[in-house]
Amino acid sequence: MKTLKAIYNFIVGDMIILIGILIIAIVLGLIANIAALAPLRVAIGPILIVAALLVLSATLYREARGKR
Amino acid sequence: MEWAIASAAFLASAVEFVEAFTIVLVVGITINWRSSLVGALAAAATLALIVGTLGVALVKWVPLTDLRLFVGIILILFGLKWLKKAILRYSGLKSLHDEEAIFEETMAEVRARGETIAPRIHPFGVALSYKAVLLEGLEVAFIVITFGSSIQSTAGNGIGSAAIGAAIAGILVITAGVLVKAPLTKVPENTLKFVVGVMLTSFGTFWAAEGFNYEWPLSDAFIPILAVIFLLASYLLVTFLKQQKRRQLALSKAEALEEARP
Repeated sequence: MKTLKAIYNFIVGDMIILIGILIIAIVLGLIANIAALAPLRVAIGPILIVAALLVLSATLYREARGKR
Repeated sequence: MEWAIASAAFLASAVEFVEAFTIVLVVGITINWRSSLVGALAAAATLALIVGTLGVALVKWVPLTDLRLFVGIILILFGLKWLKKAILRYSGLKSLHDEEAIFEETMAEVRARGETIAPRIHPFGVALSYKAVLLEGLEVAFIVITFGSSIQSTAGNGIGSAAIGAAIAGILVITAGVLVKAPLTKVPENTLKFVVGVMLTSFGTFWAAEGFNYEWPLSDAFIPILAVIFLLASYLLVTFLKQQKRRQLALSKAEALEEARP
C-alpha cells in the first residue's frame, strides 16, 4: 500500500487528474476499437486535447475552492 | 540527435537537478562533503543501472504503438501535475517554490539531530544525500526513458538524445551551484516547471493519440501547435484564478468591515 501510494504521488498525486485521464483513455480506446464508433476516430486528437484541458480546469477549480 | 527530445529532457531534468543539488549542498555543509558526495555518487550509479536496464528492455520488447500510448498517458499525467502546480503558483494560490527555504529547513533538521561537521563518512549524511539524488534522479530517469523510447524506432537513438539533454542539465546545474556555492535561488524554478509542464503535456497528448492510431495533421510539426494551445489555455486559467483570488480578498475585506461596524 505504501509502495502504491509512493508511485501514485510520484507520477500524478492528484485523483482528479488520474481518474479524468484514465476515463478519457478508456473512451478513446473504445472509439479506436469499436466499429460502430469509427466515424469518431478522426476526432481522437481534438477530444484528447479538450479532455486534458477540462481535467486541468477541474483540478484547479477544486484547489481554488479549497482555498476559500 | 533528436533536438526536440534533448531540449525537453534538458528542461525537465534541470528542475530535478536543482532540487537534488540543494540537499547535497546542505549535507555537504552541515555534515561533510565526503558523506554527501558518496551518497550522491551511489545514487547516480543506481540510476545509471535503472536507465540502462529498463530503457533497453522497453525498446526491445514492447511494440512501438503500445509504448507510445502508455508513455503518452504517463506524460500527460506528469505534465498536468506540473502544470497545475505552476499555474497555482503563478495565480498566487500557492507560494512559489523556494529553494532557499528548503535549504534552511533541511539545515535546521540536520542541526536538530545534533549532526556536526566531521571528516569521516557519516551514514545519515550518505543516506540523506542518496535519498535526495535517487528520488529526484528517478524523475530524470523516467523522463529520459519515456521521451527517448517513444521515438526510438522512427528516428535514431531517442534515449541517447534524452540522456544527453539530461546530462547537460546536470553538468550546468552542478557547475552553477559550485560557482555560486549557494542554493540555486536564481533559477526561476516555477517558469521552468511551467514550460516543462506544457512540453510534457504536449508530447504526451501527441503520443497518446498516435497510440490510438490517430494521425495528426502536419505530423510531428503539430507538437509546437499543441504547446501553443496548452500555453494559451494555461494563461487563461492563471488570469481566471487571479481574478477569483482578488474577488475573494475583496469579499473577505467587505465582510470584515461589516462585522467591525457597531
